[in-house]
Formats: sequence, C-alpha cells, structure tokens
Amino acid sequence: MHRLWNRVDFAFSSAWQNFWRNAAVSIASVLIVWVVLLALGSLLLVLHSLDQIVALEKTKASAISVYLADTTPLSSAMDFKLHLESDPRVTAVTYVSKDQAMARFRQLPALDPSVIDTLGTNPLPASLDVTVRDIRDLGAIDQEVRNSPLVDKSPSTNYEPNVIDKIILLARVAGIAGLVLIVGLTGLSVFIIMLTIRTAIYLRRKEIEVMKLVGATDWFVRWPFIVEGLFVGVVGAVVAVLIVGFGYRPAVVNLQSVLIFVPLSFDQYYLRLVLAAMLLFGLLLGSVGSYLGVRRFLKQ
Amino acid sequence: MATVMPAVPQISLQGVHKKYPNGTVALRDVTLVIPKQDFVFLVGPSGAGKSTLVRLLIREEKVTAGKIHVEGQDLSRLKRRHLPYLRRKIGMVFQDFKLLPNLSVFQNVAFALRVTEGALRHLKPKVEEVLSIVGLEGKENKFPDQLSGGEQQRVAIARALVHDPRIFLADEPTGNLDPATSWEIIQLLLQINARGTTVLMATHNREIVDVMRRRVVAIESGQIVRDEDAGGYHAPALESR
Repeated sequence: MHRLWNRVDFAFSSAWQNFWRNAAVSIASVLIVWVVLLALGSLLLVLHSLDQIVALEKTKASAISVYLADTTPLSSAMDFKLHLESDPRVTAVTYVSKDQAMARFRQLPALDPSVIDTLGTNPLPASLDVTVRDIRDLGAIDQEVRNSPLVDKSPSTNYEPNVIDKIILLARVAGIAGLVLIVGLTGLSVFIIMLTIRTAIYLRRKEIEVMKLVGATDWFVRWPFIVEGLFVGVVGAVVAVLIVGFGYRPAVVNLQSVLIFVPLSFDQYYLRLVLAAMLLFGLLLGSVGSYLGVRRFLKQ
Repeated sequence: MATVMPAVPQISLQGVHKKYPNGTVALRDVTLVIPKQDFVFLVGPSGAGKSTLVRLLIREEKVTAGKIHVEGQDLSRLKRRHLPYLRRKIGMVFQDFKLLPNLSVFQNVAFALRVTEGALRHLKPKVEEVLSIVGLEGKENKFPDQLSGGEQQRVAIARALVHDPRIFLADEPTGNLDPATSWEIIQLLLQINARGTTVLMATHNREIVDVMRRRVVAIESGQIVRDEDAGGYHAPALESR
C-alpha cells in the first residue's frame, strides 16, 4: 500500500511539476485538445440535429397537405375529401380547418404568439392532409389536385420532392467535412502532446539518469510522463465538456428562434453521450500522445 | 590479500570485447576476477577503457563478446526488467557527482530510496544513517551549490549507500577534487570497504594509488596490462626509472 501510494504520489507530483515547468508547451497542448474536442462535440450535436430533422421529414414524407381556397365551402371540401378517400393509392384524408391550422402554427417551437396576433386575420388556409400508401404516388396526386378549382393557388400543396434528399446530402457533407477536420486536428493534438512529453523528458534528463542509475524501474520512470499526458487530455476535455454542456441548450433555443420551421429539439440523453465521448476521447488523445512521447526513450 | 583463501568471485569478466557502433574498440579480451570485499584500483590513461569497463558492470553498455558475471548473474542474459534490481546492489559515484541541483542534500539521498520504492517508513532514519557515515550531519537542508566539491561527492556517496550495496563502483571520484579532499574521499571508500563492500575505483590519481598499495589493475588500449596486489600506479620497471 505504501509503495503504491509512493508510486502514485511521485507520478502525480512529478507530472504536475512537469506541466508547469514547461507551461507554454503544456498550455498549447491543452488548447489543441480543447479545440479538437470542441469540434468533435459540436459536430456530433449538429449531425444529431440533422438526423432529427431527417427522421421527422421522413414521417411527414408520406403525406401532403392540399391547401383549400378560402372560398371553398365546407360541403365541397367534404366531397373532395370523399373523392380522395376513394382513390386506391390513398390511405387516409384528414380535414384541417383554418382554426386548426392556426392552432398548429402557434405550436411551432420558439414562435412568438404576439407576432401572429398582430396579423389580425388568419392567413392560413384550411387543408386536406392526404396520406398515401407509397411515397412515389405523391407526385401524381399533387399534379391531380392542383387542377381542382377548390384548391388554393398559392401554394396549392406543401409537396417538396427534394427536401429530404437535400437534408440527407447536407448531413453527409457536414459529416465528412467534420470528420476530416477532426482527423486532422486529432493528428495535430497527438503530435503536440508528444512534443510536450518530449520537452518534459528533456528537462528532466538528469533526474532520469539518476533514477536509472540508482535502480528505478522503467515504469516508475515512465509514469509521471504518462500522467502528464493524461492530465493534458483531461484538462482540455473538461473545458470543452463544460462549454458544450452549457452551450447546447442556448444554441438550440437560439436556432429554434431563427429557423422556426426546422424541427430542432434539445436532447438531454444524447448530450450526455456526447459529453462522455468527449471526455473519453480527451483521455485517448492524452494517452496516445504520451505513449508516443515516452516510447523512444528508456529503450537502449 | 584476496589470494589467501579461495575467494568467491563477485565480479568476473571472461574474454570481454567491447566494440562501439562507431567502430571504436574499447576493450579487447579482458579477463578479470574480483572477489568479495576486494578493493581494486583501475588505472590507465584516458581512453584506455576504464569507463567502458565500469559501464559494462552496471550494464549501461552490453558486451560485444565474452561474459560478465556480477553477483552471480550473467549480465548478457539478464532481462531488461531485472536490470534495476541489479543496480540496487551496486553503488556508483562519478567525477561529476550527478546530484540534482534543485533538491537538498537530504532530498538527493532520499530520492534514490523513493524512486526505487524502498520502505518509506525507514526513509528518514536510513538517510540520516548514510549521511552520518559520510560525515554530513547538519547539512541535510543545504543545496548542492552551497557545498564544496568534496561535500558534493560525499552526498553522491551517501546516495550510493542507501541500498546497502554489495559493490561500490567509483569512476574518477576524485577527478574534480583537490588533494586533501581526495584523501578524505579515499578514507570514506576504505571505510565502506571495511564494512564488507567490494570497491572498484577507476582513477588517474597516481599519488593515492601509490600510497595505498592496494590491488591495481592497469588498462591500456583496452587490454589489461598489469594486475598486481599491493601495486603502484605505474609498473615497477617504469617507477624505477
């Protein structure tokens, strides 16, 4: 127990001294770890938000809203509903009145209700929400309903064939660009941690010489440097975790107020996963960097 | 004196060759046996191979050919992970002391115990014990730059003694010291020898070797040219000139 404590105490106090003895290099390596993890955390959260949007759009994709002209009487609308329901390609049709449309609109996240109230009248059209068996039939139905005199002309439906493809493409591009950035930064941070450890070893070369001379084991000599690398990784990670942890909710709220029609939401559970991943990655950067730093020396 | 009874060899070199990667041949066919409790001067001009021999004994270098046994262990077969335990049986001092300037006298000695994970409960009494052996009581809190050369070498000797080594290697321990201080260090090495530790001292110090009349092993160009009990720095023929 005494020996273990001696080893731990020696490793930690030496690592602490090393860290401050070459403070400039140590702080540079903490900064680079911080940047890598900040980028990693942000990327994971952005990709997750894009995923959320894609998932929601997919469930919406099998349905279109056919907007009815304000002049269309309710009886004609009901006839039109029956006509659509008799179509074998259609599974369900729901009538949404102007008031219901307004109620839905008010529920959009982060939309200021007072903005709607200033409009005075309700500008939203009533609609028939048509759900189809096969997404590929949506285009044909869209074309058919556009010709009906009952249907509003601007716009007739909310059919947007390319929106999902565009979101998926955006998610893919963001993912690849982010991955390239993170791989590059990871390499750079491992390299800088390695330099930090090498500098620490250089500054302590006399001490190491004495340690080896009096019979310290290789691992006893190595531990302080490994602890220093882990220390760099953890400090960088903790700072990044705090920023992402506290910044995610305000960021989502701000984006919701700007992108009011984009279904962004705050995901507490996913955030915890991301923070844990960041901390682990920080430890990994620290240990790989220090492993590479100490690998060459002590080997003769 | 080692020849009176069949002494147990504590250090033995058999046909040792050492060639450095740059092609320099430092030792050629060196055979040497040092029994327990012997006191040996290793003499010879600079570059003769004295330091190489010392480095081979703590396996800072490996032999190119031949065998070295220390404390019954074949050094060429010794696994790297067992090396630290061999070094704890060997105390070493150098011409340049190799003290850590930012540690006090006490800390410099305690450092050797700490990094070898000795029992920390006995750390303080052990450090005090070896500091009193070398006569540095009362200087525990001084730093190396506050000490004379002789005192610094005493700290290095105290550090080498904390593991109660069975072998004491000194590579030019008086090289940086004035004659009076050198004698004090020699007296200390004699004391250590008298306590049962084998001492091997590589030196240039002719006066000391001549006065002491101990076993002398002379090396020139990597070969042992003379090995005599109660010898002088130079061979008798040279001395008579």
